[in-house]
Amino acid sequence: MGFVKQHREPASALAEASTERRSFEVLAGELQHADPTVRRWAARDLTDCPEASKALVDRLQREEDNSVREVILSTLTTHGDDIAVGGLVECLRSENVSLRNEAIEAMKQLPKEVAPIMQGLLDDEDSDVRIFAVNVLESLRHPEVESWLIAVIEKDPELNVCATAVDLLGEVGTSAARGPLGRLKARYSGEPYIQFAADVALKRLGGD
Amino acid sequence: MDDSLIITDADFEKFREFFYRKTGIQFETTKRYFVDKRLAERIEATKTRSFRAYFTMLRFEASGEELQQLTNLMTVNETYFFREEYQFECLVKSMLPDIVRRKTDRSPIRIWAIPSSSGEEPYSIAIYLLEYWAGLAHWDVEIVSSDIDTQILSQAKRGFYSERSVSHMPPHLVRKYFTRKGDGYQLSDDVLSAVEFTRVNLHDRADTRSYRDFDVAFCRNLLIYFDDVSRKAAAETLYDALKPGGFVCLGHSESMSRFSSLYKVWNFPDARVYQKPKDV
Repeated sequence: MGFVKQHREPASALAEASTERRSFEVLAGELQHADPTVRRWAARDLTDCPEASKALVDRLQREEDNSVREVILSTLTTHGDDIAVGGLVECLRSENVSLRNEAIEAMKQLPKEVAPIMQGLLDDEDSDVRIFAVNVLESLRHPEVESWLIAVIEKDPELNVCATAVDLLGEVGTSAARGPLGRLKARYSGEPYIQFAADVALKRLGGD
Repeated sequence: MDDSLIITDADFEKFREFFYRKTGIQFETTKRYFVDKRLAERIEATKTRSFRAYFTMLRFEASGEELQQLTNLMTVNETYFFREEYQFECLVKSMLPDIVRRKTDRSPIRIWAIPSSSGEEPYSIAIYLLEYWAGLAHWDVEIVSSDIDTQILSQAKRGFYSERSVSHMPPHLVRKYFTRKGDGYQLSDDVLSAVEFTRVNLHDRADTRSYRDFDVAFCRNLLIYFDDVSRKAAAETLYDALKPGGFVCLGHSESMSRFSSLYKVWNFPDARVYQKPKDV
């Protein structure tokens, strides 16, 4: 016993098949395979197929294996087209907590692609979707983040949405947020949490 | 720098985007001087005379040789023997005993160290196993070590090191495994032959897809050069390279949990490591 070196051939027929570039049709078929390893590799190789977003989004909604979902989300993030972004938005409405959180993480990676639809998400009739949209803003590298958050605390009728936005404004805001925070405090004068959170944010921003 | 070799902001952006797409390595603006200096060096060496001409060659050269040369220059290769030793202790005290307990056949235990850099890490693993793991008498172990940089791989295979490289090792082990040669230290043949070196770009699916069935992967201080998207992709690649129940070790400042939920976190007495679920 001791150290050995082995000449490694591909570990399986799967690996052999994967050494050649496969067509979209083949990969889309493998996305439905019973073996999660095959589905994972198909999702990964679909990075090379720009037309793959719809097939990936469809699979994402049904995929139960966490590791396959992660790869699908990475590939959708790489494509970043309208269908991919639309599919991620749909995940925000899912009852599956893991899928929802994974979609939020994926959307954070797509500032340019998510920006045009962000206002729509922040105006969504479902307050949970609006909260998730604020969660996306948490690390979205986009110059509009502060103005979106200010609009939320100025207008949103739901306390929980405003509270989520206030927490974040304390981290990313500038002096431009001080007036809106003051007005929010006045609007929710009977809500101790909003008073507390807005005071914390104002303190971080250098206010009184 | 020659005036014709000035890299403009637009050139830097163009190069940065291209290099990221090819390697997954993202240069922040703070690395501007580092990148400019190396680009200028390659423009001079290839006699292409301007960034524009060099970049055209880099993009369209079918062999990819210049991209490899440039990658060699752009990747940082600084390490030493027994760096972050606590993880090697964790390997012999916790990970390997767990792996052996779960093994159902006599196949070799497989360890992948990426990036290999100049070889200090994979050779440290070999020395650690020789010195501190009695299981080596009962099990075959295969150590594969990979890097994107072909020059550093050649250097690793030579096994010749500076005083600084071995300064963190116990002196008796330096005496045991190295021979003093001129101003450096030559690693002994039995340790040299313990490691197989291969050229791999972790960002390239064609390179990594045959890397399977590893019990442990060391991927330390590499992901810090990647952006979030590439880190996540690297985590997925390592996942497929591991057997169920296989372990990943990252550098002390890196955390898998920040960019992937694929792994279970294990806080062993000596180190925090990440495990691919056993039941997949």
